[in-house]
Amino acid sequence: MASQFTREWSGIQQFPAATQDKLLELLGRLKEKKKDKLTILVMGKGAVGKSSTVNSIIGERVVTTGAFQSEAPRPTMVSRERSGFTLNIIDTPGIVEAGYINDQALEIIKRFLLNKTIDVLLYVDRLDAYRVDTLDLQVVKAITKSFGQEIWRRVIVVFTHAQLSPLDCLSYDEFLAKRSESLLKVVHSGARFKKQDIQFLAKRSESLLKVVHSGARFKKQDIQNISIPVGLVENSGRCKKNENDEKILPNGTAWIPSIVETITKVALTETKGIVVDQKLIDGPDPNDKWKLFIPLILAFQVFFVAQPILRAIKNDVDKEVKPSWA
Amino acid sequence: MASFTAGTGQFLTLGPTRRRSNPKTSSHPKPSTTHLATPIRCQQISSQNPNTKPSKPLKVPLKTLGVAAAVSGGFWRKLFSAAANADEEKGNEWDSHGMPADIVVQLNKLSGFKKYKVSEILFLDKVKSILVGSDDSFFEMVSLRANGVYTKAQLQKELETLATSGMFEKVDLEAKTNADGTIGLTVSFTESTWEEADHFRCINVGLMAQSKGVDVEENMTEKEKVDYMRNQERDYRRRMDRARPCMLPSSVHNEILSILGQGNVSARMLQNIRDRVQKWYHDEGYACAQVVNFGNLNTNEVVCEVVEGDITRVVIQFQDKLGNVCEGNTQIGVVKRELPKQLQKGNVFNIEAGKQALRNINSLSLFSNIEVNPRPDEKNEGGIIVEIKLKELEQKSAEVSSEWSIVPGRGGRPTLASIQPGGTVSFEHRNIKGLNRSVLGSVTTSNFLNPQDDLAFKLEYVHPYLDGVSNPRNRTLRTSVFNSRKLSPVFTGGPGIDEVPPIWVDRAGVKTNITENFTRQSKFTYGIVMEEITTRDESSNISSNGQRVLPSGGISADGPPTTLSGTGIDRMVFGQANITRDNTKFVNGAIVGERNVFQLDQGLGIGSKFPFFNRHQLTMTRFIQLKEVEEAAGKPPPPVLVLHGHYGGCVGDLPSYDAFTLGGPYSVRGYNMGEIGAARNILEVAAELRIPVRNTHAYVFVEHGNDLGSSKDVKGNPTEVYRRMGHGSSYGVGAKLGLVRAEYAVDHNSGTGALFFRFGERF
Repeated sequence: MASQFTREWSGIQQFPAATQDKLLELLGRLKEKKKDKLTILVMGKGAVGKSSTVNSIIGERVVTTGAFQSEAPRPTMVSRERSGFTLNIIDTPGIVEAGYINDQALEIIKRFLLNKTIDVLLYVDRLDAYRVDTLDLQVVKAITKSFGQEIWRRVIVVFTHAQLSPLDCLSYDEFLAKRSESLLKVVHSGARFKKQDIQFLAKRSESLLKVVHSGARFKKQDIQNISIPVGLVENSGRCKKNENDEKILPNGTAWIPSIVETITKVALTETKGIVVDQKLIDGPDPNDKWKLFIPLILAFQVFFVAQPILRAIKNDVDKEVKPSWA
Repeated sequence: MASFTAGTGQFLTLGPTRRRSNPKTSSHPKPSTTHLATPIRCQQISSQNPNTKPSKPLKVPLKTLGVAAAVSGGFWRKLFSAAANADEEKGNEWDSHGMPADIVVQLNKLSGFKKYKVSEILFLDKVKSILVGSDDSFFEMVSLRANGVYTKAQLQKELETLATSGMFEKVDLEAKTNADGTIGLTVSFTESTWEEADHFRCINVGLMAQSKGVDVEENMTEKEKVDYMRNQERDYRRRMDRARPCMLPSSVHNEILSILGQGNVSARMLQNIRDRVQKWYHDEGYACAQVVNFGNLNTNEVVCEVVEGDITRVVIQFQDKLGNVCEGNTQIGVVKRELPKQLQKGNVFNIEAGKQALRNINSLSLFSNIEVNPRPDEKNEGGIIVEIKLKELEQKSAEVSSEWSIVPGRGGRPTLASIQPGGTVSFEHRNIKGLNRSVLGSVTTSNFLNPQDDLAFKLEYVHPYLDGVSNPRNRTLRTSVFNSRKLSPVFTGGPGIDEVPPIWVDRAGVKTNITENFTRQSKFTYGIVMEEITTRDESSNISSNGQRVLPSGGISADGPPTTLSGTGIDRMVFGQANITRDNTKFVNGAIVGERNVFQLDQGLGIGSKFPFFNRHQLTMTRFIQLKEVEEAAGKPPPPVLVLHGHYGGCVGDLPSYDAFTLGGPYSVRGYNMGEIGAARNILEVAAELRIPVRNTHAYVFVEHGNDLGSSKDVKGNPTEVYRRMGHGSSYGVGAKLGLVRAEYAVDHNSGTGALFFRFGERF
């Protein structure tokens, strides 16, 4: 928590004017909704560009990054203030180590987040990773387990290395669609959404942004509100730029304003942010489940298990084959 | 008119009066009786308690008790009272007959001073003029044996015995001289016969005065004689009416009728009937039953009088070490309630009931020697007194057993310093107040020098006959103070996981329960447990969380919580109940039947964190006999299919040490204890096919264990933390070798097989 000390957001001035305007407009929109604080949690596998994304969004080199350097060992929170608005971005170490979920790292993240409110989760993965494997599923599951299914209402799937030339004859958009679809599928299954809900949602939205349902607790009308937005990021310095000197993606959109807009949208959903408290970290206490029904269960056992067995014993005694002399 | 008084022989003795009266009565058939007086030949059953020190801790699994009991069965000696046939003295010296060879000599022509050697004995039926084969029942009546040496007096006595046996109208003994100085004896006889009969009746005359044959006085007038006989006839009728019917089944009855249908009632026929009737009784275990008399001869109904062996008294006697009768400490009621109903006064003595009594009394383990001994009641002819002789065990006993264990020292090599003296000190006070109450205690440590390391103790008080000794309800109260230390199978790694640091679960507490026995195997136990559970790591430090090995190789102590309170020490009070229904029985050594066990631990909200829970288990096992077999000793057992299901579940507070674990020799074979997972709800299913091979059996099995997705409902999810699957199957083959099971089991999760040797039974 070294950099928790809030500083003036100076990095914003380094952005091209067009970007600055856009960002300020978005911040204004947030302030309009009486939201003067935004906390973004960045999570993902190792070496996918989490820290770089943080740096890009802040516009400063706040978190050390390096292509070959190992991960930041502990979560870091970067806080910036701009005209009464505070932006907190929490960068976390990759939670995958040696092909397994590093429970300890997850534990540290959880403890770091204790008593904080998460407005937006950036789930970071590389766009140029072609395969979605069980590891992705495990990561998604681990996040679900740690923060509850609710967090997937506030997620933005962020693809880094967005400036790639797709293989084969796929167009960029097609490739993007395919890639995000496959990852979202994993997210869906990892977050344990029900199949019929996914189908229901798939019908509703033709876009690749599939809607997320979390567990049985979401009511159907809520589902309309849940959609997983996808953001694209290109942290490379050689990123193409448009006439306004904004970094753009191969499809022409300037990505920084675009992702901040997405963040704003997610942050402004009606639901409240995820408050990380002890209870959330521990998950629902399985010991309390059905506890109130114990007297009923006991009564059932007495009348429908114990009594029949006792009757069967009596029956055995009556039926017992006595030796001929008895 | 005949009165046939008893002799010492094994059966009928016809008095000379019968012969005398016969010519007179031949035209006027009279009911007559033959009297058989036989010494009662009952068996004595006794048992010597094989474990004179029952306090010795039985370390073999419970299953072996069945075997032990079978072994102790071998201790029953069947003592038969000496048979009546006294051997004739067999002097080697004998005298030559000194007569020309090949002449027939009358018995009274033989010299009274010589010892004759009998080369052979022949029986000649004078009526049919044929020699009777040696397999004939007459042969057993003669105590003379070929190649024996006898004096004239002995031969005459023998003849007299035969003549008075009632079997013969006339009997004669002739000697034929042989060239080598020996003599051949010919017994020529005329068998006694009576009129043909087509009815048979069997009556139990036990406990009735025996019909005493009164000789007809020579000087009676004809009228007196007729009156006398009429009286006799009437008396006999009355006697028959008073007699109880005997238990001979109709099948045997019919068999006897078919014997009667063969013609005139002859002595030999009666002998056959007697043998048949007695055989049935003895086969059924009525060892004291005797045919004592045939009555109503010369009418169309043969009446067989049987003394079945009614028990007139049950005597319980205590003996001291020297076998003298002494006053026992045990209250009589304790022994009495173990006696089967059939061994009580008023029933017919049955050897099987006696054996049952012996087994029951033996299972009290209060006595070192038990004898159940029926003997004839002198005061009440035909009655049986069942005498139970008991030698009591010492009431108090103490035992110390020690063992040295060599613990690997530094570098894995044992050193002198690493030798640890360990052992058990136990004491027992049995049979307090003579009511089989007992207090037993034991302390075990693996190191007497440092007993605080692991000291296991147990103090138990057992109070049987809670509802009184005379009340048939059989409830036993048990209270114990205990502690135990067990390795928790919850903190075990899955396949391919290196050592998971172990967690020891120490339990210490007080337990009180009441057991009601319904049958030998079915029972209902309920009680209350108060205990303190402490979880410790390898080095005996209290640990509140399991340890886990990090991918980096380090060990972190933030694994799943071990206790409910989170401190490593839990205290709780809960109710416990167990209902066992077991109607299994052995069919030629193979177990057949079904067994259901329902076990319930109900938390009462008393203890650390107010634990409130309902932890339940239901086990169902069926042993299905696949083929009907003849039940007899030495016959092969039937193939048996065993189906087994076990459900365990818990609602409410579930500390890790109470989680259900999957895997292990009594859960899913082929896995280590807890290797599959630890969960809140589990289901195990198993099937085993047992095929008899020679004296033992071989088997194939499949088993599956599943956590029903409830592993995550255990706090800290130890199943996942230690990388276990949560479900697993296995299959394998095995053979039972005595007490040991050797089996090859393949586990499905890793696909590898291994050979296991296990003690005891899986089911």
